[in-house]
Amino acid sequence: MSVSTRITHREVLQALSAVPDPEIPAVSITEMGMVGPIRVEGDRVEVTILPTFTGCPAIDVIRSDVDAAVSALQGVEDVVVNLSFEPPWTVDRITPEGRAKLKDFGLAPPGPGGPVLITEIGLPKVAECPFCGSRDTVNENPFGPTPCRALYYCRSCRNPFEQFKPI
Amino acid sequence: MSESLVAVMTALADDELVLGHRHSEWTGFAPHLEEDVAFSSIAQDEIGHATAFYRLIGDLTGTDADQIALGREPNQYRNATLCEQPNGDWAYTLARHWLYDHADDLRLEALEKTAHAPLSALITKIRREERYHLIHADTWLKRVAHGPVEGRNRLVAAVTDALPHAVGLFEPYELEEQAIDEGWLPVASKDLAEKFFDAMTEALDRLGFPAETHSRPDQRAEFVASSSGDLIAGEGDGAIGEAESASAAAGGRRGQHTAAFDSLWEEMTAQFRAHPGATW
Repeated sequence: MSVSTRITHREVLQALSAVPDPEIPAVSITEMGMVGPIRVEGDRVEVTILPTFTGCPAIDVIRSDVDAAVSALQGVEDVVVNLSFEPPWTVDRITPEGRAKLKDFGLAPPGPGGPVLITEIGLPKVAECPFCGSRDTVNENPFGPTPCRALYYCRSCRNPFEQFKPI
Repeated sequence: MSESLVAVMTALADDELVLGHRHSEWTGFAPHLEEDVAFSSIAQDEIGHATAFYRLIGDLTGTDADQIALGREPNQYRNATLCEQPNGDWAYTLARHWLYDHADDLRLEALEKTAHAPLSALITKIRREERYHLIHADTWLKRVAHGPVEGRNRLVAAVTDALPHAVGLFEPYELEEQAIDEGWLPVASKDLAEKFFDAMTEALDRLGFPAETHSRPDQRAEFVASSSGDLIAGEGDGAIGEAESASAAAGGRRGQHTAAFDSLWEEMTAQFRAHPGATW
């Protein structure tokens, strides 16, 4: 390994910041807080991904996208992508930028932010409509099109919207 | 590799896979659209949990997760018979969902303290997701129990039918004593069975369900050691043949399934058997 091709932790993170969440393409996996430990050893890079939900069907796509993004870095010969539940992914891992982008995408960010204790897990009675900002909203279904989303309806602007589940 | 640890994880995974399969049968058919979405999503969660357990087994045994999930003969599955029962009517689906998720909550809470660190971490994650299943099940149980009389009567009948099978979720795992000695299993199944039964009867009493719902002897099945040392369902009097027939709950953890499992297995594994090694 020559000094000129030395791969840095920062380069890897930068490459990962261009990998979108396949189900919420407006947000990257780094903004979602899905990137766990990164280990660089010579020309070998090991990345650990923390799934948002255990059964998230996007995980295989994310794994191959992570592999492709890191493999594209100059000097990388070998990429290993691990999945881990240690630590468990929780909504407080989403960055402030990520939360803003979720809202722009039409997906209400989960709760006010900060850690959610297991005993506090559940849907907020009132969610803020990502389209008009009204709090005159109602939960229609705690389950939605993906494991991480719940369905709401805004009585003010009369739009249905989705809420990222506090977990 | 520890065989007893694999046995515990196989039972958990098979429960989630088989019940997930049953839940998925509501996709397109549930009584209303929101529940179609809800049961489809819960099915996806359960099958996702099963996949994660199968991967942990695969890490120990070197076997592919799909091969474990879909490549076994019916008598090699270790799910409790509760999970394989047909969906029946909406009341049975709700009764089973409620009983299963409360049982699952109890056993996962105990198993989070397992000595197998990757399993403990996975369970920490799963328990957070399962909160939504519990909230859903509790909401529906109350709604139907306090609703019109036909729905309530159907729910009472459904709970009465499902409870013996639910107790079967706590039939001891294969190699359970070994799993306890080796630190994989922090609490014995029989201790959890009692806790589960007490919690469920208390909840049913609160809903004003008739005592017959949860007072049949087979619903109170205890698990005793047979002469071969296996733990089986029984009344504690050592009359094994009689005891086995007294409880429909027993057997799943030893690969003895009800007739309903055959057709479920046929369908669940059809693609895997027809196209070995296929990927997409």
